[in-house]
Amino acid sequence: MLSYVVAGLALGAIYAIAAASLVVTHVSSGVFNFAFGAMAFAVARFYYFLYVEHGWPLPLAAVVAIGLFGPGLGVLLYAVLFRHLRLRSPLVRIVATIGLSVALPPLVNLVLGQLVNVTAPGLAPQPVAVFRPFGTVVDMNQLIIYAALSVVLVVGTGLLRYTDTGLKVRALVDSEALTAMSGVSPTRVSLGVWAFSALLAGLAGVLVAPTAGLSVDGMTFLMAAAFAAVVAARLRNLPTAVAVALAMGVVTSVIQRYLDADSALSAQIVPSVPFLFMLVFLIAHALRGRAGDAPAGGALDRAIRAEAAGAPTATNRSGFVAPLVTLGVVACLPLVLDDFWTGLTGTGIALATALLSCTLVTGEGGMIWLCQITFAGFGALLAADLTANSGWPPLAAVLVSALCVVPVGVALGLLTIRLGNLYVALVTLTFGLLAQNLVFLRDRFYNSGQGIYMPRPEWALDNRTFALLALAVFAVLGLFVVNLRRSTAGLAVTAVRWSEAGSRTLGLGIVPVKVLVSAVATFVAAVGGGFLALAYQSALPDSFNPFTGLVWLAVLVTVGARPVVGALVAGVAFAVLPSVFQTYLPTRWAEVPVILFGFGAVMLARNPEGIIAMHARQLRDLSRWRQSRREPAIAQGDLA
Amino acid sequence: MSATSGTTSPRIEARGVTVRFGGLVALDQVDLSVPPASVVGLVGPNGAGKSTLFAVLSGLLAPSKGTVLMDGQDVTGASAQARARRGLARTFQHPELFPGLTVREHVVLAYRLRHTRHRIWTDLVTAGGFRRAPVDEDRRTDALLAALRLTAHAHRPVSGLPLGTSRLLEIARALAVDPGVLLLDEPSSGLDARETDELATTLTGVVADHGVSLLLVEHDVELVLGMSDVVHVLDFGVKISEGSPAEVRADPAVRAAYLGADHGEERTSA
Amino acid sequence: MTVTAPPLLAVRDLTVRYGAAHALRDVTFDVPPNSALAVLGPNGAGKSTLARALSGLVPPVAGTVVFEGRDVTGSTPDAIRRAGLVHLPEGRGVFPSLTVMENLRMATACDRRRRAAAVDRAFEIFPALRERQRQAAGTLSGGEQQMLSLARALMVDPRLVIADELSLGLAPKMVDVVFESLRRARAAGVAVLMIEQFASRALGFADHCLVLQRGRIAWSGGTDEAGPELLSRYLGDATAA
Repeated sequence: MLSYVVAGLALGAIYAIAAASLVVTHVSSGVFNFAFGAMAFAVARFYYFLYVEHGWPLPLAAVVAIGLFGPGLGVLLYAVLFRHLRLRSPLVRIVATIGLSVALPPLVNLVLGQLVNVTAPGLAPQPVAVFRPFGTVVDMNQLIIYAALSVVLVVGTGLLRYTDTGLKVRALVDSEALTAMSGVSPTRVSLGVWAFSALLAGLAGVLVAPTAGLSVDGMTFLMAAAFAAVVAARLRNLPTAVAVALAMGVVTSVIQRYLDADSALSAQIVPSVPFLFMLVFLIAHALRGRAGDAPAGGALDRAIRAEAAGAPTATNRSGFVAPLVTLGVVACLPLVLDDFWTGLTGTGIALATALLSCTLVTGEGGMIWLCQITFAGFGALLAADLTANSGWPPLAAVLVSALCVVPVGVALGLLTIRLGNLYVALVTLTFGLLAQNLVFLRDRFYNSGQGIYMPRPEWALDNRTFALLALAVFAVLGLFVVNLRRSTAGLAVTAVRWSEAGSRTLGLGIVPVKVLVSAVATFVAAVGGGFLALAYQSALPDSFNPFTGLVWLAVLVTVGARPVVGALVAGVAFAVLPSVFQTYLPTRWAEVPVILFGFGAVMLARNPEGIIAMHARQLRDLSRWRQSRREPAIAQGDLA
Repeated sequence: MSATSGTTSPRIEARGVTVRFGGLVALDQVDLSVPPASVVGLVGPNGAGKSTLFAVLSGLLAPSKGTVLMDGQDVTGASAQARARRGLARTFQHPELFPGLTVREHVVLAYRLRHTRHRIWTDLVTAGGFRRAPVDEDRRTDALLAALRLTAHAHRPVSGLPLGTSRLLEIARALAVDPGVLLLDEPSSGLDARETDELATTLTGVVADHGVSLLLVEHDVELVLGMSDVVHVLDFGVKISEGSPAEVRADPAVRAAYLGADHGEERTSA
Repeated sequence: MTVTAPPLLAVRDLTVRYGAAHALRDVTFDVPPNSALAVLGPNGAGKSTLARALSGLVPPVAGTVVFEGRDVTGSTPDAIRRAGLVHLPEGRGVFPSLTVMENLRMATACDRRRRAAAVDRAFEIFPALRERQRQAAGTLSGGEQQMLSLARALMVDPRLVIADELSLGLAPKMVDVVFESLRRARAAGVAVLMIEQFASRALGFADHCLVLQRGRIAWSGGTDEAGPELLSRYLGDATAA
């Protein structure tokens, strides 16, 4: 028993360091850092580069990587990104850090090289010393983790409580405006906070590498687990976050004592522990009505922010020409390309349908749902199951399974209706991770990574016919979305999105509108998932990983989250571009498109419209200027 | 025009409404009623509880004690949207517009919510987004836009509209649901003198044309006293005066509340 | 105004816009050293916006603010504060989760050498704060918070204090205390720009008065002439529509 607790405390301590880093940056600068995992990975990878690949002495490598590179990265990212986010809408704040989380790891891989073997040393000298006190086993890595947490807690508490620097940070948490009015520059304080937080991220990354592996997935999982502690602490309370993180680690470890280590149940339950924690706390917070958007700062900050916040969108009532041309071009691709590229295009179009659900829920409804990919996965698996195991015709299976998934989306919509934006994002991400662990990885569906065989309809076996079929389905659903947007329902959705008080006093209830959006978006996502399965001719659970869903979102917002053709361009680009790079450029450049998509999402911090919308506007402005030499209309846009 | 009931009970009425936030009493036993086809003013210094009373009347905030009645029926427990459907409309001190919609779409949505509510659902299967609007809807929408001098802005997105225009749009949107009573929260704040005059003229015209009752919260006392049949004065959550504009103007308690207790009277007599 | 010395604060054509709305338009006035100016006007007239624009919290779209001969238009609030202009914001200008002592230390965070003396002075101005120094500011009564806010301003030898609605929501006795401390600060050479919705006390305190209406200066002059003028602006007169 004791040995389980010992191991659990080590895991919990890493969670605690991560949670502390997330809480500190969130309360002091209003940014919830979805790029934490990516930052941890960058630092851990750099440490590996110095210590293993270049043979630097361990202490030197550790100090340079964690003590210099990490804080330097934090300062850099604050200066170029996080600084701009404070006044942005919650959606842009979340998506921009997601973009960073998408772009940073491949960038690091591009510079430092992709690792094949993900086992990495921690901070303990090799070989790792092992001690046996009180009949249990503790290794040096674990001791270092305990020590690291103790140092972080003691130094952190000391700094916050007893120094002027800490005083300034706590003052900043209370009110940015008042801090500035006391003669202290909030920018400089924030810079320090981000440096410290990045140091913690790097430390957590290096410490977790020996057990979780030096991989993006390992780091992202660490971050997602730490989210649970942060949610438990209602995003603010540092001691609670640390305590819950430790408890999570211990529970994760102790539970293994009672489970058969080789059983399927164990493989599902153990990684789900943090997410179950999060679920419990979220429900508790929501029931007590304490999961709204926590306003940052004091009354004065809110007054200034309300005044400074720019006016958001105008609906882009762009004509039919550009969308039709895009549709036509994509329709030509299968006719002119060879079979390989046609296959990719078909996959891209299927993906576009799934992305259309993000267009609806996020672009139109303004709800930050990070689990559209999970609905797509449900749709894919159910359709494949019906086709392969019950002999249904494939298209009927796709349609029926999409309808079956709708209640799940509606239930999630109802559950999250009273939650603030950030909580909605966290809940939906957690839901996706739980679904991944508890459903997708079941042997019945996972099948050692092969998934379930999903045959195409007999008349659409070849890639060309299939691509055109997928495009037809996309066009029908796209038309449905356009109709929705232009109809009374669309007006109602937009109204509810921008002002609940305004809508309610017009007699427009919030619940029916949100249910409508969730239902339609879930249906569209599930149909998209079904077609993805048809495209691959298999429902592959691995392709519906929630972290891949973050990349989907990054791609979509890069291209533009509002136009329907945005989804089409994004889907095709996402499917085709990596292969273009792979085929025509050295292999190591294969991930460049992902980096670009990530940075596209990051750029949202500067230009919250997306590329298509931006260029379309520039073109329109230009032509208008040419035609009439009038002053170009300032069509300000904002995603949120 | 609007849903006029044959009775003489007030369009909306607050009886003994008390609101507490923690230990703070924001409203203390406030009574107020808005008779049919009348203009009622509500004034009081900053923090007097006017906006709180508005929130209670429109159903966005539940009172700790007291009841709210519409046309004689108790609606204290009814939601904001239920009250809206009974004929209550309001505007906000900071206009609660929908930045994704154009000026005209605001009015269209409000009109449809009142007259063709089913379209939220039926449009999805009848391709309602691609069909022309019905003649009635067009006529009514255009008339409202014209009445509030918004025609020139009809197809502009609302972001970037001047504040005065935003307020007019909120009023147009509110009138599109054919309300029996319209609650206006600080309609003139942020407007310049000319815009305020225009607003007063427009409002008076609208009341005459539509038979709507108005409840008006204003800091611009002159505007309120000029427009209202009856004025109520709140101070620190308590109603300190009620009467015709002339009576309220002469009330020493009102002068004291506005100028501070000790010096107010000396200075006026000087 | 008989201005012999150059003004401490010179504001020219200050214009602030929030989105589309003009919050302030072409506001021009001077504050001579060691003088007191009352800024009056109904809610929404732009009084708080004026204060925020002067202290750098909101950027003006046009106009200049010159403080002690230095152009501070567009400077950050922390730089303006370090130059000696202290803004007491509307509501409670204290950090609620910090203790009284920490609030005072925060006020002197940009000049730590004189911290001990400054904290002593704060306790001298408001002895009641000394007993509360370990209490979180958010748990103080409204009056005590206002005292703390004022102490934070007066302890650092400011050149100009902008006091936004200091008396709002305070018991009359507490209002006396607050005004008394401002009076003593003036005696020590501090200039005061006072924003009030309740006119009479401010008029009793200041030598000059500005009336803002809808973002513009509607009236300005000596406080002795301000009474009847104001009354009609607030309550209207018998001839008003």
